[in-house]
Amino acid sequence: MALNRKTAVIGTAIAAPPPDDPRSLEELLYDVTQEALSDAGMSIEDIDGIVVGSNDQFDGRAIAVMAASGSVGGVDRDILSTPSAGEHAFVMATLRIASGLYETHLVVSWSPTEVSSMAEAQRLGADPYFHRKLPLDEVAGAALQANSIASVTPGVHVLAARISELNRKNGSHAYPDLTAHSGTIGTLPWPLRDGMISAPATGAVALVIASQDYVVSKGLTNIAWVNGMGWATESGYLGDRDLNQAEALEVARDRAYAEAEITSPLGTIDVVELTDTSPYQQLLVSEVLGLSSRADWEKDVVTGVFTQDSTMAINPSGGVTIFNPVFCTGLIRIAEAANQVRGTAGRHQVMGVKTALAHAASGFAMMYQSVLILGNQPKRAVA
Amino acid sequence: MTAPRVGIIGIGQSAFTRRRDDASYPDLVREAVIRAMTQADLDFDAIDGTVYSLSPDAMVGIGNAERLGVDAVGGRNKPFLRINTGGATGISSVAAAYYHVASGACDVILTAGADKVGECGDSQTVLNKIWDPTYERQLPHGTITMLAMSGVRYQHKYGMTQEDMARVVVKNRKHAALNPNAHLRTEVTVEDVMASRMISWPIKLMDCCPQSSGGGAMVLASEKFIKQNKLDAVWITGVGHCTETYYQGDRMGTGQTADHADAYALGKACWRSYKMAGITDPQKQIDVAELYAPFSNTEFHSIEAAGLAPVGQSVPMVNEGRFSIGGEIPVNASGGTLCTNAIAVTAMIRVAEVALQVWGKAGAHQVKGAKRGIASGNGGDHQFFGTAVIEA
Repeated sequence: MALNRKTAVIGTAIAAPPPDDPRSLEELLYDVTQEALSDAGMSIEDIDGIVVGSNDQFDGRAIAVMAASGSVGGVDRDILSTPSAGEHAFVMATLRIASGLYETHLVVSWSPTEVSSMAEAQRLGADPYFHRKLPLDEVAGAALQANSIASVTPGVHVLAARISELNRKNGSHAYPDLTAHSGTIGTLPWPLRDGMISAPATGAVALVIASQDYVVSKGLTNIAWVNGMGWATESGYLGDRDLNQAEALEVARDRAYAEAEITSPLGTIDVVELTDTSPYQQLLVSEVLGLSSRADWEKDVVTGVFTQDSTMAINPSGGVTIFNPVFCTGLIRIAEAANQVRGTAGRHQVMGVKTALAHAASGFAMMYQSVLILGNQPKRAVA
Repeated sequence: MTAPRVGIIGIGQSAFTRRRDDASYPDLVREAVIRAMTQADLDFDAIDGTVYSLSPDAMVGIGNAERLGVDAVGGRNKPFLRINTGGATGISSVAAAYYHVASGACDVILTAGADKVGECGDSQTVLNKIWDPTYERQLPHGTITMLAMSGVRYQHKYGMTQEDMARVVVKNRKHAALNPNAHLRTEVTVEDVMASRMISWPIKLMDCCPQSSGGGAMVLASEKFIKQNKLDAVWITGVGHCTETYYQGDRMGTGQTADHADAYALGKACWRSYKMAGITDPQKQIDVAELYAPFSNTEFHSIEAAGLAPVGQSVPMVNEGRFSIGGEIPVNASGGTLCTNAIAVTAMIRVAEVALQVWGKAGAHQVKGAKRGIASGNGGDHQFFGTAVIEA
């Protein structure tokens, strides 16, 4: 079903503080919020509602959204929180504007690293009877998925290593400071190797979105239209899933492509920002999104869509491989894709972008899947 | 543009109690979902997506516990997200579900959740962790002390006594005795309440809500779907949220953003819902209210914030029976949060109970002739407030 109203991204800000940044979480959130509002040419007084994505375990605060009241300008305003995923905050805000009850929204998500062990914090998200004792965390989930893909795809380990190299090359161009800070994780579970997964980093991201009516009334032009949006979930139990597949991504893809009237992504989409917690996941996601069939992976890694020779750029920012604020990486992908459409991506701006795809995934082995299609023109007339 | 109408077509709730040793956390969610789906008379194929209602993860001891609820709600390979605004989560989830339909994204949406507060050990230990780790967490602060301070302030400002608080308990327990799903169903007297042990001045044990376990679920649908399928429904005609400051200290002393005696943001949230529903005089236009009040003293400022009594004047009105079943505007005819509090779904149950009232399906605690009602939820440190107007 198409939404009743068009929505556009009109401002973004991505915060990637260095390890020695002295700001508190509240100060970081205030700064990233103000930067996004400034980018949109607005003040907090112009914001009708706020949706934040935050995680209790990473923040060390039950009801993590509470800290956002003041720092994102929520006092006296209408706030919802989506602790399932940072990108779900974007979905929720878009639905609220499409309902006709709001004209503007602020979307904020963050991911701190103060916890003594991110792996332990993540492990609390596994069911207490079966998976928690594996032990299961995000990296273990990515490794299990990589093994599942590898079990039916000979030679994929070489391709995954090459994908990592390409992402790191993109990242070193896009964010040279970040690349310098992107640490690696100690001992990685098979088949993941050094350089394939970035250590968790502190980060925050904010977006300002607005209705078509607002965009038209203000005469805004530097915007990215939300032309398609799909989101879905897998089962919560890994044992119930075939990790070589991504059924929820298929559902999210079908909805987003249908809304955006995309029948052939190759040749239509100019830029893709996808959540690549591991390069194996990048390959799987590319397959499901119709960017590279499994039979073509080997060719596409050498001369195809994964390379700079391609007319489609995949993760020009370097993706999660170089910057991994775990809980908000998905929302950062949406901000990066919007920036590409708006021509504000900076060093890694791809020339002439008309359509961008953002893929966000959260939870163990990409449980939650979201697909956004952003464009420089609204795709469908408003009902 | 005017938002499309959204109807409620199914409601499910557990018979709440302290412990449910017979049911796992996903089992409790499933229990409520099955009941809601049975009332809606729909197959799971008809459900387009789910809004999952879950407040602090620590209450169930599982991080992102909504992931374990995906199969319980039939959510696999469908749109799914979780909402958390603390105690307001349930009503925020209903609002989020409303937006799923009103936006055109879904024709039919399920919102569901569950909690096992009675099995968490001590909810106040968990809730202490909502405060900032540097200042207020170490007082030590809990939601009881937080709202005890509100009670002290309300006593000072408006003259409320502990006996007045006790009469709220007596009223709500009497209501709960009529509600088979309520947790605390034993009627009590003012003397019983006054004799219960002091927890945090002026709040005594019987002024406090229980720690409840159980699930809640609601099915919402578009007007088009409801008419095409000739379904029975009641309607969500208003939704509104508003937020106060995080820090308790910002509500005290001079220059505060909101006086801690009152419920400033709840009032704004109510009036946002009223405006959307076209209500200008709630004392005349509201027939029934389910207002989230986990401690007896907070029912007074909730009634006032909802515009059902002038500010500072609800105490004599409660004492006169205006807000009892049989009174002019029954408040918490179900027994309310004071008698049942499974935090993740408590505010959803407020909406569900108003819906049952205007539907004429509330059973023994039915308010005669109820056609329009207001529901509210509070979360965080008296911080997040959600409201909804439901009409027949």
